Amino acid sequence: MDREILRRLESLNQLRLTEEEKEKVLSFFEMQDKEITRLGDIDTEKVERMVHVMPMNNVIREDVVNKVFTRDELQAAAPEAYDGYWQVPRLVE
Amino acid sequence: MKYETVIGLEVHVEMATESKIFCSCSAKFGGEQNDHVCPACCGMPGMLPIVNKHVVDLGMTAGMMLNCDINRTTTFDKKSYYYPDLPNAYQTTQWFAPVCVNGTVDIKTSKGEKKVRIKQIHMEEDAGKLVHDDWTDSTLVDFNRTSVPLIEIVSQPDLSSAEEVIAYLERLRSLLRFAKVSDCRWEQGSMRCDVNLSVRPEGSDVLGVRTEMKNMNSLSAIERAIEYETARHIDAIENGTEVLVQETRRWDDIKGKSYAMRTKETAGDYRYFPDPNVMPVVIDDEWYNRIKETLPDLPEVKAQKFIELGLTEYDADQLIQSRALCDVFEAAYKTSGLAKESANWIITDCMTILNKKQMTADMLSISGKALGELIKLVAEEKVNRGNAKRILAVMFDEDINPQEYAEKNGLIVSNDTGKLEEVVKAVCAADPKSVEDYKNGKEKVFMALFGQCMKQLQGNCNPQALKEALLKELQ
Repeated sequence: MDREILRRLESLNQLRLTEEEKEKVLSFFEMQDKEITRLGDIDTEKVERMVHVMPMNNVIREDVVNKVFTRDELQAAAPEAYDGYWQVPRLVE
Repeated sequence: MKYETVIGLEVHVEMATESKIFCSCSAKFGGEQNDHVCPACCGMPGMLPIVNKHVVDLGMTAGMMLNCDINRTTTFDKKSYYYPDLPNAYQTTQWFAPVCVNGTVDIKTSKGEKKVRIKQIHMEEDAGKLVHDDWTDSTLVDFNRTSVPLIEIVSQPDLSSAEEVIAYLERLRSLLRFAKVSDCRWEQGSMRCDVNLSVRPEGSDVLGVRTEMKNMNSLSAIERAIEYETARHIDAIENGTEVLVQETRRWDDIKGKSYAMRTKETAGDYRYFPDPNVMPVVIDDEWYNRIKETLPDLPEVKAQKFIELGLTEYDADQLIQSRALCDVFEAAYKTSGLAKESANWIITDCMTILNKKQMTADMLSISGKALGELIKLVAEEKVNRGNAKRILAVMFDEDINPQEYAEKNGLIVSNDTGKLEEVVKAVCAADPKSVEDYKNGKEKVFMALFGQCMKQLQGNCNPQALKEALLKELQ
């Protein structure tokens, strides 16, 4: 992690960090980086790839339509709604 | 210097499911804004996505149709994406273990046959629709399409001309429609394509700078865009008209030009990571084999089978344009045993009705078995062709048994010779002049009398029997 990568991450995550916050993040990542590098030392040759953190699979449902909520219920807490649409600040000029 | 174009495609296809990929909202196209929405697909906190099993069925089906290997353990990942048409601020997609990998699609062009390699097929959710509204000076969000299931078919950069791209897309569309994975309707956006293109000196094995044109949704626009981009790249290389950069471009089909949209992201920018909320899908042998068994024949294999039943090449070619036509044909033939007649009724009569209703061949949903029964009734001269056409029209709107319907509505051809003679006698008695004329050698009036009899019998008689009865009466 360096300042250049941090700048890129700021932009991707749409964040603006103060100088103090940047220092914190950099030192945090430095520590993380050390830990992660250490993991490389472990012999994982015979270990099967872990596909998911939860020991579960096939949580699936049949292809059946079920309407539970109305639009009005869903939009009741919307900060802005107009004519059945959620409304957000204009994206394109 | 001679150049070659290198093209890879990412094709998005909306899958033909009833419900969305991670919730049970309707996946139907259209509808009132935000009518097919629930807390899961509008991104409310705490909602858990649950995978629609049929999406996996169709993902596997697509992969098998394109000769892919199926990943028996397939997982979902989050792709960071900040835009209000996906309310979670990420798209749930597949990155680390997509459902299908390493396939091929065979295409034919004027230059011969070619195998296009498929890198992978992954399942993911579609984004919603944004309306940039002048009246309210805001952007309005409709989540109906959010979480509608998609597959993205990623090809290797094996294509080298607009002609090959069109052949590839047409083949893909035909296979996916045949396997009922999707209706692949460009005009409704259920099939869309991103074109990745670069140009390099012929024979070189170093790829040029790649640009991507996103969300192309018509074959003619794709063709024009490829030609324009190729020329632009060559111009930049040869004449230095501009510096090519890796970027995403937008194609303006009206102006016939492409415009830079944004610098192309790299995979790292999306910060993919395993979605902890969606559990892995493990496809066991039973599930795999079930899908394998339901795969249809390839269109050309089906056509060959139809020709062996006695159809012409033309008829077979008409039927394989749509899986629905093939299904109805096969059921009608099975019931009637009459291949040519079954094909004729579908290609001529059913298509006429579909056209009148402004429906496509894919929408043919009449019972093939009932059509077969109707064809049998005509072949056995129990119902005449005119009445059979009327019955067919009813079959488009109602689920009827043709024989019962014909009986109930007096459309069965009468074999009652007594009734025939009775009608013949009455018609002749009511028109003594025509009878006299016929006897005096005016044979033309025969058809007029025949027509009157037919009208009285409402067409429900054997024409040969009527002819004989009338001749007998006139002698």
